[in-house]
Amino acid sequence: MELSDEILISAPRDKVYAALMDPEVLKASIPGCEELTRLSDDEFTAKVVLKVGPVKARFGGQVTLDRSGAPERMSITGEGNGGVAGFARGGADVELIEEAGGTRLRYTAKADIGGKIAQLGSRLILGTAKKLSAAFFSNFAATITEEVEEG
Amino acid sequence: MNDHAPSRDERIAGLKGLGTSRRRVEDARFTQGKGNYVDDMKLPDMLFGDFVRSPYAHARVTAIDAEAAKALPGVVAVLTADDLRPLGLHWMPTLAGDKQMVLADGKVLFQGQEVAFVVATDRYAAADAVELVEVTYEELPVVTDPFKALAPDAPVLREDLQGQTEGAHGPRKHHNHIFTWEMGDEDGTEAAIADAEVVAEEMIYYHRTHPCPLETCGCVASMDKVNGKLTLWGTFQAPHAVRTVASLISGIAEHNIRVVSPDIGGGFGNKVGVYPGYICSIVASIVTGKPVKWIEDRMENLMSTAFARDYWMKGKIAATKDGKITALDCHVTADHGGFDACADPTKFPAGFFNICTGSYDIPIAHLSVDGVYTNKAPGGVAYRCSFRVTEAAYFIERMIEVLAIKLGIDAAELRAKNFIRKEQFPYHSALGWEYDSGDYHTAWDKALKAVGYDALRREQAERVAAFKRGETRKLLGIGLSFFTEIVGAGPVKNCDILGLGMFDSCEIRIHPTGSAIARLGTISQGQGHATTFAQILASEIGIPADDITVEEGDTDTAPYGLGTYGSRSTPVAGAATAMAGRKIRAKAQMIAAYLLEVHDDDVEFDVDRFVIKGAPERFKTMKEIAFASYNQAIPGLEPGLEAVSYYDPPNMTYPFGAYICVMEIDVDTGVWEIRQFYALDDCGTRINPMVIEGQVHGGATEGLAIAMGQELAYDEMGNVKTGTLMDFFLPTAVETPHYTTDHTETPSPHHPIGAKGVGESPNVGSVPAYSNAVQDAFRAFGHIHAHMPHDHARIWKIADGLGLHA
Repeated sequence: MELSDEILISAPRDKVYAALMDPEVLKASIPGCEELTRLSDDEFTAKVVLKVGPVKARFGGQVTLDRSGAPERMSITGEGNGGVAGFARGGADVELIEEAGGTRLRYTAKADIGGKIAQLGSRLILGTAKKLSAAFFSNFAATITEEVEEG
Repeated sequence: MNDHAPSRDERIAGLKGLGTSRRRVEDARFTQGKGNYVDDMKLPDMLFGDFVRSPYAHARVTAIDAEAAKALPGVVAVLTADDLRPLGLHWMPTLAGDKQMVLADGKVLFQGQEVAFVVATDRYAAADAVELVEVTYEELPVVTDPFKALAPDAPVLREDLQGQTEGAHGPRKHHNHIFTWEMGDEDGTEAAIADAEVVAEEMIYYHRTHPCPLETCGCVASMDKVNGKLTLWGTFQAPHAVRTVASLISGIAEHNIRVVSPDIGGGFGNKVGVYPGYICSIVASIVTGKPVKWIEDRMENLMSTAFARDYWMKGKIAATKDGKITALDCHVTADHGGFDACADPTKFPAGFFNICTGSYDIPIAHLSVDGVYTNKAPGGVAYRCSFRVTEAAYFIERMIEVLAIKLGIDAAELRAKNFIRKEQFPYHSALGWEYDSGDYHTAWDKALKAVGYDALRREQAERVAAFKRGETRKLLGIGLSFFTEIVGAGPVKNCDILGLGMFDSCEIRIHPTGSAIARLGTISQGQGHATTFAQILASEIGIPADDITVEEGDTDTAPYGLGTYGSRSTPVAGAATAMAGRKIRAKAQMIAAYLLEVHDDDVEFDVDRFVIKGAPERFKTMKEIAFASYNQAIPGLEPGLEAVSYYDPPNMTYPFGAYICVMEIDVDTGVWEIRQFYALDDCGTRINPMVIEGQVHGGATEGLAIAMGQELAYDEMGNVKTGTLMDFFLPTAVETPHYTTDHTETPSPHHPIGAKGVGESPNVGSVPAYSNAVQDAFRAFGHIHAHMPHDHARIWKIADGLGLHA
């Protein structure tokens, strides 16, 4: 499963980049996120409640960041396990482009999904994933914009 | 007093015997919601079982933590392989000579595999507890493609078999190889193909699908610790075999096990096998001392209990330039999933696939089948067909079409040119069968005439011309299919399952007032046995069908038999019914002669009575005879009127038929519409035409599903992509066409009443008809073959591949 989209965030690039590694911002932005704990600079653990069609489950997992492309790029990889509901693993490449009015965030994400959630059929999964990622980035954009405005 | 004595015709009609469209006696309860299915059962203190299943298709199970689940209120027990190991029940034998894990023993081999069994006081607690069982998996590489599974460096799936070079069906060539089954003359066939004027080759894939009965599998196990008896109610197509197998693997004496199949909501092969749910329910009942119910949900049914098909069939067919077939070669790569749990007679690891020479007189043929393990669910059952017969019929009916294209001969004509001729029966096929009877040319001519074949071909040609002129975007496909089924397994000399001979049985008791009960070793799953077997008996013993109760499915009362699948009930148990009826009649004749004070030879049977030869006004009715049999002392005869027959059929029966499907296909959307579907069946003697028609409608609709979209699809990670009815196609009234049914009647020469069985013919015959219609629609544009299922997207792709969207 592959997803890609882009969004314009009205904040400078370094601010956006920093926010992508800020557990509080991420927690507020990830739909259904209950816990996000930083283990090291580039490692997080997360607990997320996900609902796909009739399956609702709590996924626990690890997220690792690769910041070698800073400040333009960041790669995120992760995997999560939702018990009988299934499991997921994947990653995203995020590109940040400075332009008038802020920063354009462009991402391509790839995910492999297994177990019950995968059996519900790709059309549900893909739709849900698109919705969730769209929700994440719009939450993210809103959170940063708020911070920028307040700050 | 009513003086009217019914005429002979009225007496015959009153019996509602053979040939009568008698209404199904079962339907009163089914249509009123009064059926009694296993999930309707409620027993005091009953517990509920539910499975923790693997989300991975291939993984090591390194730890199972059930503490949180056990702490949940209502949870009684959580069973894992470690709990079953001391009982030797963590693995179980399959019907194919392999063994299968009951609960994951160190690893899992397919998504949905049973890992732990939770037992709780209600279904909700059980379901909640399933979510709390924490299983630690270590992922292993997944193989879902049988060809990749045979690569030298493919992961080892069955570590338990590592190093074993001999399997249940001969040598194993590779660590994921199960068996090779070979029939026919390899060298001779190769030589005939090398010398042939024309050879057509094609890889024909019959995709993996699933019987998907509306009622899923389930059972209630109840161990009575006081008297030591185990009762098992469940969705069993073969209750007696389940009893024997349960006894053999549990060590409980067979007389202490009672297996009952209540009403069953469709089986289609899915309910032949033995599943972990049955074993776990039995163990849980023994452990807890309480009845335990286990019922699958729809996703569990589709992803874990027996699938069907998944055959890659590579064919070569050779012929003379004028279309006489000279040889056939077929190699099958059979994907069996993680365990070989096919439900085939022991000596036939690929079932009766060697019927793949079809209805044609092919002088020489060769077949080899390689069974392969993959990370998919086990199964390989006969989904509304005799063992692997629908695969065989699809293969040959596609090869004939491919050959017709290569030869440039009309496919209907090519078939007629190669049919086994009427005078050749009994016909010995190149791959070892003896076809009992047939008249293919008559059936084919009748079918072609009924659909107006020549006119259809003209219309098709005009349509192609109009399409090329840009006047239409719809094409017309004419799907031809002529099939020969092989059913009625089977003669004990070569047919057994786990060593159990495939005879069947009937026991009849005539009551003193002249009504009767007949019990059989089979079990109806909707086929209407209670209706049709009573009709066989009515004609044999002259007691009205309405006065005969037919009972099946309780091993404590019914005689031993191998159950219902592979269209075997009428050919085997139906024959036993007729034979038991004849024993009744023989005794009735002696009683009648005594009552009429004549010699046995001086009376003869006439519809519902014995009459004195030459003096039919002197008679005794079966009703009178029944009463006398119990209540009159007859010298030399025991009281009572009962009989039992165990029937070992001398041969299989070979029903056949001609199906034609006319389909409109929208080139731009792939949407299809069936304009006409004609089904001619010859199932020998017809017991109940209305029941036959119902069977044909049902089977042709399942065939429609299979050909046009129904698929058990896996992704590369081994995820079941079609695990719900949102993705797994079950046709509704929207898609289902109108069927025109027709028949010819060529009785089986060896069956007591000449009947051959029909329940599965429509699936065998219709799948090639639908598929051939799709492929035929594109023939004029150079199309030769595309794999099923022909859903809209795949049809669109055929059109796209041919450049029709340009």
